[in-house]
Amino acid sequence: MSNELSTKQRKSLIIGVVGIIVVCACAIVAAWAGKSAWSTLFETEGNGTPTGQNATTAELIVAVSPGMASTLTQLAEQFNANAYKTPDGSLMSVHTLTVVPEKMVEQSLANPPFQALAPDSSLWLNQLDRRWVAAHSSDEETSLIPIGNRRFGDPVRYATSPVVIAAWESVARELGWPDRVVGWRDIQQKATTDTTFKWNHPSTGHASGLLATLAEFYAGAGLTRGLTPEAATAQTTLDYVRAVEGTVRFYGEGEDVIVQRLAAEGRNFLDAFVAQEQVVIAWNQTQSGERLVALYPAEGTLWADHPLALLELGASDETPLTANQRRTYQTFVTFLTSPDVQRQLLAAGYRPANLDIRLDEAGSPFAGSTAADWRQPQTTLQIPAASVVEVVQNVWWYTKRPTNVYLVVDTSGSMEESDKIDLTRVALRSFVEQIRGDRDQVGLIAFASEVNTLRSLQPLDDAGRADLNRAIDQLRATGNTALIDGVWEAYTELTLRGNPEAINAIVVMTDGQENNSRHSFAELQQRLRQEHGTSVVIFTIAFGGDADEKLLRSMAEVGGGQFRRAQETDIEELYKIISTYF
Amino acid sequence: MKRTRWIFVGILVVVALIIGVAIVVQRSGNDGNTPDTELVLEQPETITVRVLTALPVEPWVRSAAETYNATQPTLDGVPIQVEIIPMDGLTALGRWDRNDFGALGADADVANLTAAEKAALASFPTVWIPDSRYLVELANASYKERLGRDVFLTDGEYRARPIAISLFTWGIYESRANVLTSRFGDITWNAIHDAAVAKGGWPELGGDPAWGFFKLVVPNPNKNAGGLAAMVAAAGEYYGRTDISVADLTEPQFQTWLKELMGSVTDFSSASAYTAEDFALFGYSVGDGGQLLESDLLQNMQGILTRWDDPLKIYYPRYVTWFEFPYTIWVGPETSALEKNAALAFQRFLLGEEQQKAALAYGLRPTNPNVSLDATPESLFVKWKDRGVEMVVPRSDAMRNPDREVLLALLRWFELNVAN
Repeated sequence: MSNELSTKQRKSLIIGVVGIIVVCACAIVAAWAGKSAWSTLFETEGNGTPTGQNATTAELIVAVSPGMASTLTQLAEQFNANAYKTPDGSLMSVHTLTVVPEKMVEQSLANPPFQALAPDSSLWLNQLDRRWVAAHSSDEETSLIPIGNRRFGDPVRYATSPVVIAAWESVARELGWPDRVVGWRDIQQKATTDTTFKWNHPSTGHASGLLATLAEFYAGAGLTRGLTPEAATAQTTLDYVRAVEGTVRFYGEGEDVIVQRLAAEGRNFLDAFVAQEQVVIAWNQTQSGERLVALYPAEGTLWADHPLALLELGASDETPLTANQRRTYQTFVTFLTSPDVQRQLLAAGYRPANLDIRLDEAGSPFAGSTAADWRQPQTTLQIPAASVVEVVQNVWWYTKRPTNVYLVVDTSGSMEESDKIDLTRVALRSFVEQIRGDRDQVGLIAFASEVNTLRSLQPLDDAGRADLNRAIDQLRATGNTALIDGVWEAYTELTLRGNPEAINAIVVMTDGQENNSRHSFAELQQRLRQEHGTSVVIFTIAFGGDADEKLLRSMAEVGGGQFRRAQETDIEELYKIISTYF
Repeated sequence: MKRTRWIFVGILVVVALIIGVAIVVQRSGNDGNTPDTELVLEQPETITVRVLTALPVEPWVRSAAETYNATQPTLDGVPIQVEIIPMDGLTALGRWDRNDFGALGADADVANLTAAEKAALASFPTVWIPDSRYLVELANASYKERLGRDVFLTDGEYRARPIAISLFTWGIYESRANVLTSRFGDITWNAIHDAAVAKGGWPELGGDPAWGFFKLVVPNPNKNAGGLAAMVAAAGEYYGRTDISVADLTEPQFQTWLKELMGSVTDFSSASAYTAEDFALFGYSVGDGGQLLESDLLQNMQGILTRWDDPLKIYYPRYVTWFEFPYTIWVGPETSALEKNAALAFQRFLLGEEQQKAALAYGLRPTNPNVSLDATPESLFVKWKDRGVEMVVPRSDAMRNPDREVLLALLRWFELNVAN
């Protein structure tokens, strides 16, 4: 029949149909497998895997305030010695990076060189929060619920310490302790009425310095809470703060440096200073002689509450955190809050965050001591909103004690080596940038074979600042090293033109040996010791390994200042640090 | 067998081989972290239930999860693992609202997700336990705008179920409370307001001059859902009713009253999400008293007694707000049916008598009616009875949950008048 297929045709048809099915099946399977393989090979590459960083790294870098740096670094070393491992076998490690809190906030906003931060107070986290939200306000505007967009996760506290006025016991008794509660006003009154009274607070870049400044603004405004930008900037407030700040001997990096200087210079260096309670306890534990006493201000104080927070990195071109870094952070937090570590912190003078630990338990530095009282403070000053704190920080520059400082710079031939003269120019410009007081004056003296006063003291308004920077840019290295003559010249200028009410200072830097001065160090020393009227502080910097450290140390000692070493890598940072003293 | 049949069988073997090889290739391409292609159909090695948990119940839920995981639970033969992610309810709400967790769009096809998209969903929360039901409603409202549907259900099998309750109570240092009660009688928001605005501070109220001014503790509403609850309770008492509207909040006299009240808070910057813990850590130096979650106060009571020279006393307010911690399962396609059902299994575990009794040790009131507040010796309601905690709440009016507009108005008011 014509409709019926032959056997041969039927076989061919079956084979054809099966063949088509096979081809189709192969195509489907190949596409499915291929898609998966393609996805595996290529698409996962864009799956948040950080580039330029090992995706499994368990190394965590924590930025820490200078005052806590040595303690936290020791604890990080203990943590690392435990050799904790992540589930995938990576070794957890924690490293610290010492950063001033104000700078920590600045760096945390974009591509920080750390993943977690441990400032001395939550105040800084609040500022970070505020600045982060301000910088990402467009994201917030699109959000119906304007919350939860934070740069860091929930912080934990691992130690606390109230900010106190640390005073020698004899000074404290003179102020009325322990029979009555001493306040900020007592210190401020004493400082303005007794010219021999020497006190200090760190710059506003530290919690203790910021609190002391806030206390002055509150007192000046006649308030104990509700400080507003208007009250902080009222003329009567500014006049009051200016009068009090005029009695501050110098500012500086923080209480850790004050303690170093107290140890070096002894009881007469300061009568009182603002610091964490822990500084008082640690001092009394390690030093002999008259003890320090913690005065808890009657008007209230502030807590250095030592928060630790993990940054939520990953914005724009940032390297995101790895899962292992998060694990390291969590493990480190558990380690820091463990009873053993908390007792170590108590032994160091901090109040542990673990509330199970009694402050007056046997062996505690608080037990049986009257120098620090665990029942205190009774009250705290109100911390204004972050915006008001920023106003106070800015206005402080117009109230602080004025500064007259000469930058005395080595421009001998050796400064040409290793780009030292170029790096010095950068460092000097950074120093000038940091000096922001409207009553501050800076001068520039270069010394080589001769001494050259490039700029006499001049105020740093816009024109003055630009002029000084031009002079810095023109520094050239050649000739010998008339170091002593350079300092002699600066000293002469300061005593002739300086203001006894101001902080008068010389910051001298050299990379070599004195070899061309007309004056001897003995003459300079005699002059510094004999001069009356304007007091001049001398800071000395040994740049590199060939500088005459012995001479520089002696110069700093007789000038009541500090000697510091610097290398090519940190000369700029050192000049910035020294600028905080003014 | 005929030759054609041999050919047919041969072809079938070849097809089977091709399919087998393809499966091997496909599986080798899966790194183990990437979810299976079919979120719904494929059987995973482990079912992970990720529970986004509000901070006040986190210690209890974490402990319960550890106990649960230790029982090696399974569902359809697949092991279940419960993972706890602590997060304040308000922060979580902000993250839901911004879709930070990466929920799929309304037109997304789950079956055709790329490997990267699937990997992104690997950490998607299965369950959310916020502080209060109103946070769930706010999240639903946000997703309704985006997807046109609810993502958390209010009825049916997957509906939100409260797992524990905690009230907002006054926690005041006893020495200060004695002065306040002798001057004002009951501890109320109005009494606290009058103490807050006393120009002479504590000496004017009859207290010790060393105490300075009266200092209130209220959580920062940007960091802790309790801050909003406290403001709602204050508004309720100010107006003498349980239902607060946006118009009430914008009334100038009320705003002045609230600003004076909030002006006595010492430090919102360090008021973290763990306010009661801060209260214990810094003691009466930062706060004489405040309205905080009962469970938080009870959990920190021992710490306060250990650290400070003055015990804390608990008082119950007339207008009461509370958190009921609803266990809320995400119903979208981002999580599989197995994960949702495993989440239900863990919910049943939490609501069981054993875990409800365990909640007492954390100062939480069980929602299981079979468990009384003194059911165990570890119950904090028994332990801190002499500190003022009461098993039966005295006569009070329960505040209604605020609606979205009220919450947003409070947040805006706080930003403009207090935070900045």
